[in-house]
Amino acid sequence: MPRVRTLIVGIPLLLTAVTAVSLWSVARMSSDKKNEMYIGSIGEPTTLNPLQAADSAAASVTGVIFNGLLKYNADLVIEGDLASGWSLRQRSTFFFASPEEAVQAAANMESQLVDRAALHLQKYTVDGDRLVLELGMPGVSDSQKLAAMFGVAPRAAKTIGITAPKPLGDALKDFAAQNPAAQIVRVWFNGNLGELVFLGDAAIVRAALEKFLSERTGQEGLVLEDIVAPPFLAEPEVIFTLREGVRWQDGAPFTSRDVKFTYNALMDDRVASPRKSDYELVLSLDAPDERTVRVVYRRPFSPALESWMMSVLPAHLLEDVAPDQWPLTFNRAPVGTGPFKFAEWKTNQFVRVVRNDDYFRGRPHLDGIVFRVLPDPLTLRLAFETRQIDFWGVDPWAVGSFRKDDRFTLFSAPSNSYNYIGWNLRKPMFQDLRVREALAHAVNVDQMIRYVLYGYGEQSTGIFTPEMWFFNPKVKPFINDPEKARALLAEAGWKPGADGILEKDGQRFAFTLITNNGNAIRSDIATLVQADLKAVGIEVTVEMYEWAVFIKNFVNKGEFDAVVLGWALGQGYDQFQIWHSSQTGPDQLNMVGYKSAEADRLLQQIREEFDRDTIIKLCGELQQLIYDDQPYLFLFVPQGTSVMWKDAFRVRRPGPDGTWIDEPVKMTKAGWSAYLEWFYRPEYAAQLEN
Amino acid sequence: MITTAPEPIEAAPATPGGRVWRRFRANKIGMVAMAMVIVLAVVAITFFILDRLGIPFPMDPDATNLERKLLPPNAVNWLGTDNLGRDVLSRLLNGAYISLTVGFVAVFVSLFIGVVVGAVAGYIGKWVDNLIMRAVDALMCFPTFFLILTAVALLGPSIFNIIFVIGLVSWTGTARLVRAEFLTLRESSYVQAARALGQRGWKIIFRHILPNAAAPILVTAVLGVPEAILAEAGLSFLGFGVQPPQATWGNIIADGKTYILDAWWLILFPGLAILLAALSFYLTGDALRQAVETRSERQ
Amino acid sequence: MTAFIIRRLLVSVVLLFFISVISFFIITLTPGSPYPWGELNPKVSEEVKRVFREKFHLDRPLHEQYAFIMRDLFTGDLRSIKDERPVLQKIGERLPATLVLNLGALALSLSFGLLLGIYGAKHAGRPPDVITSIIAFIFIALPGFWVSYLVAIALVDWAAVPILGTHTIGVAFTDGAQVFLDRWWHVMMPASILAIGGIAVQSRFVRASMIETLREDYIRTARAKGLDENAVFYRHALRNSIRPLITGIGMLLPALISGAVIIENIFAYPGMGRLGYEAVLERDYPTLVALNFVTAALVLLGNLVADLLYAVVDPRVRLE
Repeated sequence: MPRVRTLIVGIPLLLTAVTAVSLWSVARMSSDKKNEMYIGSIGEPTTLNPLQAADSAAASVTGVIFNGLLKYNADLVIEGDLASGWSLRQRSTFFFASPEEAVQAAANMESQLVDRAALHLQKYTVDGDRLVLELGMPGVSDSQKLAAMFGVAPRAAKTIGITAPKPLGDALKDFAAQNPAAQIVRVWFNGNLGELVFLGDAAIVRAALEKFLSERTGQEGLVLEDIVAPPFLAEPEVIFTLREGVRWQDGAPFTSRDVKFTYNALMDDRVASPRKSDYELVLSLDAPDERTVRVVYRRPFSPALESWMMSVLPAHLLEDVAPDQWPLTFNRAPVGTGPFKFAEWKTNQFVRVVRNDDYFRGRPHLDGIVFRVLPDPLTLRLAFETRQIDFWGVDPWAVGSFRKDDRFTLFSAPSNSYNYIGWNLRKPMFQDLRVREALAHAVNVDQMIRYVLYGYGEQSTGIFTPEMWFFNPKVKPFINDPEKARALLAEAGWKPGADGILEKDGQRFAFTLITNNGNAIRSDIATLVQADLKAVGIEVTVEMYEWAVFIKNFVNKGEFDAVVLGWALGQGYDQFQIWHSSQTGPDQLNMVGYKSAEADRLLQQIREEFDRDTIIKLCGELQQLIYDDQPYLFLFVPQGTSVMWKDAFRVRRPGPDGTWIDEPVKMTKAGWSAYLEWFYRPEYAAQLEN
Repeated sequence: MITTAPEPIEAAPATPGGRVWRRFRANKIGMVAMAMVIVLAVVAITFFILDRLGIPFPMDPDATNLERKLLPPNAVNWLGTDNLGRDVLSRLLNGAYISLTVGFVAVFVSLFIGVVVGAVAGYIGKWVDNLIMRAVDALMCFPTFFLILTAVALLGPSIFNIIFVIGLVSWTGTARLVRAEFLTLRESSYVQAARALGQRGWKIIFRHILPNAAAPILVTAVLGVPEAILAEAGLSFLGFGVQPPQATWGNIIADGKTYILDAWWLILFPGLAILLAALSFYLTGDALRQAVETRSERQ
Repeated sequence: MTAFIIRRLLVSVVLLFFISVISFFIITLTPGSPYPWGELNPKVSEEVKRVFREKFHLDRPLHEQYAFIMRDLFTGDLRSIKDERPVLQKIGERLPATLVLNLGALALSLSFGLLLGIYGAKHAGRPPDVITSIIAFIFIALPGFWVSYLVAIALVDWAAVPILGTHTIGVAFTDGAQVFLDRWWHVMMPASILAIGGIAVQSRFVRASMIETLREDYIRTARAKGLDENAVFYRHALRNSIRPLITGIGMLLPALISGAVIIENIFAYPGMGRLGYEAVLERDYPTLVALNFVTAALVLLGNLVADLLYAVVDPRVRLE
């Protein structure tokens, strides 16, 4: 039948025709860009709530929607964001056997004091049997030096940390009331976490506390630990003065109430913030007035300042909403104080933000930003090359071709990450330092950098990376020397066996090197290490696993020989969780089982130190110490390169004295996006208001 | 179906197999495809033996040579090199036996399970049949990829496990086919005669039913091989197949896709190899099916 | 008929229950567990992990976990482990795009498959048929992921044509026709690649069916009666050989919501495939159970529909 036949031929023809027309239409669509920025990423934000998000895609978006109290400026110096200023203080409290001793100590100190300012002492008071020092700088060393002048020995304060299976409520207060002999001087709790500082006998108090809490909160899951802390109360304080005239993007005024709410949310288990641990040392946070926030810490903890770069949440929108409703509402449509406000989120496609005309630093130039989700690395690159997105993180092998092309601007800097091979120090074969040194000499890191990173990287000299201000440039890297490697191995008792593989006491030097699959750099590293070690007589089997299995079954359980992994570090110097001997349990980050009393001491000291030069000195020592110990084979620090179409954007930012600085997009210490809110498209230059 | 000039008159072959073969032989495309299959098999076996003997040819597929990485096809490396300087041609040849082994053995596994299950369901019938068919339905409800992923994660990504797993998820088609054949053949005259003569069930199955059902089963088998090859390639591509440094066609593409814009040869050649292998099997299987069907249609 | 339907539905419900139990155990017994905080995040404290595990009942015995998930699934409050949003909402967001994509692929498969199959049957045995047959087999033998990459590069690198997502972003459209055509283009590209295999399979199917029908006695009769070849071909043979195609539609039901992970990834198309794949890698148990449940329900429904259609279309078949 002609009709049927027409249909059979006609329908496919029609489909083809419409598709051809659509191709033509799409191809000739105007390529005039809107006044927007397009950023592409492989991952999609899981949530737009900065307290709960842990992925980098979310961080990009929340970074333009929210502000913290503090921020890093383009030179990586801390400056105020929502806070117009801040001041640091500390109160150190010493306990004596009697009021007379306290008075005596104060007098002795007074008489020996030469330079108050050098020790930051502002004033002191005697209150009963306590001597309270008020200092202008947090830290432990000043107080210790002053204590050396007392002449009378103060009583030692001890600290116990508590993790309970249930919220503590008034349990600790009740314990203090019922146990006057324990002489508890400070009680703190927040939800399930608690802390007691006391003067009584440590063993007795601990036993009594354990018994008491077992009855109150149950024994299963109750953890008591002795906390390493100074023998006096050292309570640093930060006082933030908040900026005037800042409004939330829905018009409501920003006040200290929002900061207090954010802190409470961070500590709230229902919110389950992965950043909570940064705030666990807070003793109290209160807002004496709308423009002031006072935070008191239980111990000196210098990374604390950086923690106040955390975005502030709007109290008025969230305090009456249960956290389990947040993923449905606020987390999908956040409201902040930043230069851009949320407009739309099409799942799996993009998040769009638009300009906040009332931004407190001034009106941004761009109409908006679109964060596109492009899960395949190839299409991400293609999208950049066809100008559908404006930036691209360049793979090392492609850097060369982009560098040569002057349509592009490249931004390069050593990244804050390094790759390493972690030796499981619980295994006998890795316990001899000479063996680890031999392994470091056997692997050719230069070659790795040249061929895996195409030269874009440098050899790692330990736990910090070159761009960090506390990096120790004096640590000398291991040199590739297979001869020396063999010599060291021989010295450690490893002799070549019949098949060329080293042997000792009947055991062959053979181990399994594992890593996660899907990562080209790690699999290349594994292959190269395998070949390098074979050359000195060590047999390496390489196995790759899916990420979830890799982490859960091997890394978290500490059941592996050696792993290829990397650390992506922030700007902070606190690496307690990676290197302290208390962090070697299952699921913890010291997965290789590194235990060094000296390192423990340095890690703790660094946390308590607020003076910049002292921090640099201590970090330098720590870096050298750990590098010498070689718990890892520290491989390399890759160089990160981003590329932008040169004519895509320029920057017009407020300079000093109210002038405007107009310049091309440049690389700064904080990256190329330091002035993101001041980017503009040259073709829309006429629209600029200033 | 291609019919060439009428065949010269010769004595008709005595066996059904012979008749099938003669028809198959007349199909030019099928012959060419089968020749390809034979070539592939020979290549795979040869390089497997060479690999076990430790003879690298043309080069050692695992030898990294960082000075010569990501080179386009040239005089030394006819198909170029990968990101660690390994010769693509050698890896391709070395990987052939993996792809083909997985293809053949996985089909064998699925065939075995499918024939047993289908035979039981088809021969016994009634509620056993019903139960088995519902179970088959249920199995089809599971997303295959996910089953494979789980199994590989549980058992580990070795060749054996992958073969086993692919075979395990693909037997349902064979089972259905075998069951249908059994249901029909069970009622056929010679089976009834055999039963009347008192022959026991197993004997009937093996002596009478299976030989007749053999042909469609064989066709399914041949058509199943390329699917298994493609499945293995897909798995390796996603990273769940055989692990490096052992080369398979799928994982050469997987490793190479990162460099696709700068090194097209890493994607093109393994893909062509997969295409060629799968195509050869499909064409052979189709020709076989034609040869077989002609026979049954004439019955 | 109704008795049959009711009986099948009952059996399906029981089957669905068994399937959900088995798939749940397979999912949870897979090594690895959910960890939604990115790579080895040093900041995640023990407390937070503990609260997380409690919220999703991860430390309870398996049968309790199953009960929790099923309860939440049916009350509509099943939350994804990844971002705590209701799973049904997440599925609902991606369903329209997936449906559109699969319908497009289906339309292409059926229409082109039919065309090619009939063409092959009409010229059975002669060069045009041989060529189309070989082309069909090439299509079937093409590895999907390979083709996608090549096509993506060809289109974007050489032709500079946007293909990503469901529509072009960043361009001001001038009129409604442009918007429509833009969306059409963005669906047709991945749909075409998805349809490659489908076209080939359908064409082989139709061709075989047509050839077999053409051998039937009544065709010979029609020809003997002197009917025009076209009438014979299209009116008689075609109608009868379409039957298997129609009954096959029931089986296509689950295919409508299935996802093609690799193609969705490459074309950045927001579909169910990526949802499922990411859920597997992240061990997002609630999402996996929900997806599995919905898929299984559709497969069983599809089976039922296929059987019903088969009975409707072929009066010789009797339903038991």
